[in-house]
Amino acid sequence: MKIIINTVLFLFSAFLFSQENCFIYSEKSPEREACELCDEAIKHKQGSKESQLIFDEAIRIAPNFAWSYYQKAVPFLKRGFLNDGLKILNKAVALKPLEYLGYRAYWYWQYQNYDLCIKDLETYYALPKAYLQFTPGGEKDMRLILSLAYAKNNNYKKAIRTIEDCIATYESEDDIGLSDYHTLGLLYLHNKQYDKAIEMMEKQFTVNKDIPDSYYYLGLAYKGKSKFEDAKIQFNKALLKFQETNYYTNPNAGFRAYLIDVQTEIDNLNNL
Amino acid sequence: MKRNIFLFLIGVTFLCSCNQTEKKSQNYQNQIGDTPFDVNLDDANFQLCDASNTLHKRAYVKYDGGYKAIQKELNENYKFQTKYNSFNGYFIIRFVINCKDEAGRFRMEVLDGTFNLANPSKELQIHILDIFKDLKKWKHPFYEGKDYDGYKFITLKIVNGQIQLV
Repeated sequence: MKIIINTVLFLFSAFLFSQENCFIYSEKSPEREACELCDEAIKHKQGSKESQLIFDEAIRIAPNFAWSYYQKAVPFLKRGFLNDGLKILNKAVALKPLEYLGYRAYWYWQYQNYDLCIKDLETYYALPKAYLQFTPGGEKDMRLILSLAYAKNNNYKKAIRTIEDCIATYESEDDIGLSDYHTLGLLYLHNKQYDKAIEMMEKQFTVNKDIPDSYYYLGLAYKGKSKFEDAKIQFNKALLKFQETNYYTNPNAGFRAYLIDVQTEIDNLNNL
Repeated sequence: MKRNIFLFLIGVTFLCSCNQTEKKSQNYQNQIGDTPFDVNLDDANFQLCDASNTLHKRAYVKYDGGYKAIQKELNENYKFQTKYNSFNGYFIIRFVINCKDEAGRFRMEVLDGTFNLANPSKELQIHILDIFKDLKKWKHPFYEGKDYDGYKFITLKIVNGQIQLV
């Protein structure tokens, strides 16, 4: 049930992120006209010539209206035209950093440029009106991405503090994301805080038991404590979870485990 | 030796043509990323099964063995040379997998570490493109009960001469 509620909330937030209320612009203003054109454009297939031509017209009418640039940039970014996409998106960010810094940070994250990702997200969260933002798929609070970016730069202490602070802002357990405890657990693991890693992975299973990687990392935590039998139990659970067809793929995991990693650990323990 | 020089020049011509193709992107195709046959770049034997309906959903184009298998093959085929150390950045390779699981219509964009267009040595560019073309275990998209040709792109990050699949 919790998974369903979280999913609905996240999808709703993603929907909000991609929408603009045209009625806040005065009637017959260039921004209102551009906004309505964008509304029309997104009814066409994303990335279509028709939609791109309408975005171009919207930009011509209101060159300072950020949403046109954002919408125009999305298919370029999603289809591997990173240079073109970023050039367009940069204009949206310059016009409305509050709305679009997080989205640009997401693409920097995707392309493993952790310095630029951190720079954008630190700038964003320092803004007085910064609000809750999620990855475009809606599955992760962007503060988790910031945390993972610190970790990728080997700054585990800052990574852990960031995600602990994030979780502390939740009003109730129901606000916990599908992989928050998992992410914190693997950061503790990387920081060799094995007891905390174990505690966090066990908490993860109370929210979402369907990430194979959670069992793998829990196994590594037990291995770190030289509890090899407990480790083997968890690696075998990971193996079984990978064999299920509907396991949770945990998008933007940052540190992903693969079936071959699990198999390697089992083989290594069997050879002890 | 003469043959190697000839192949190198063909490769350089191909890469120059790739860049020219990118500059025409403002003349929109029906879909961003549509890659029509270019007699100067593409193998005429590579055919799409349905050129009017190529899928732009890259997650549906799979590789046998997944991410790890691609990374392993690229690592095995990448031949590091000290002079490659001078370039840090990204190679974004776009291509199509047809319904027979064949790859074609390769296009490449090279960016520096801050995502500006870059132009590292042609030798490195040709080598990177070649190791991507050597990947042979692609699986075409099967989407909503139908087989499709599908577009895909893959990004390779290179830092201090070491490659990392993004």
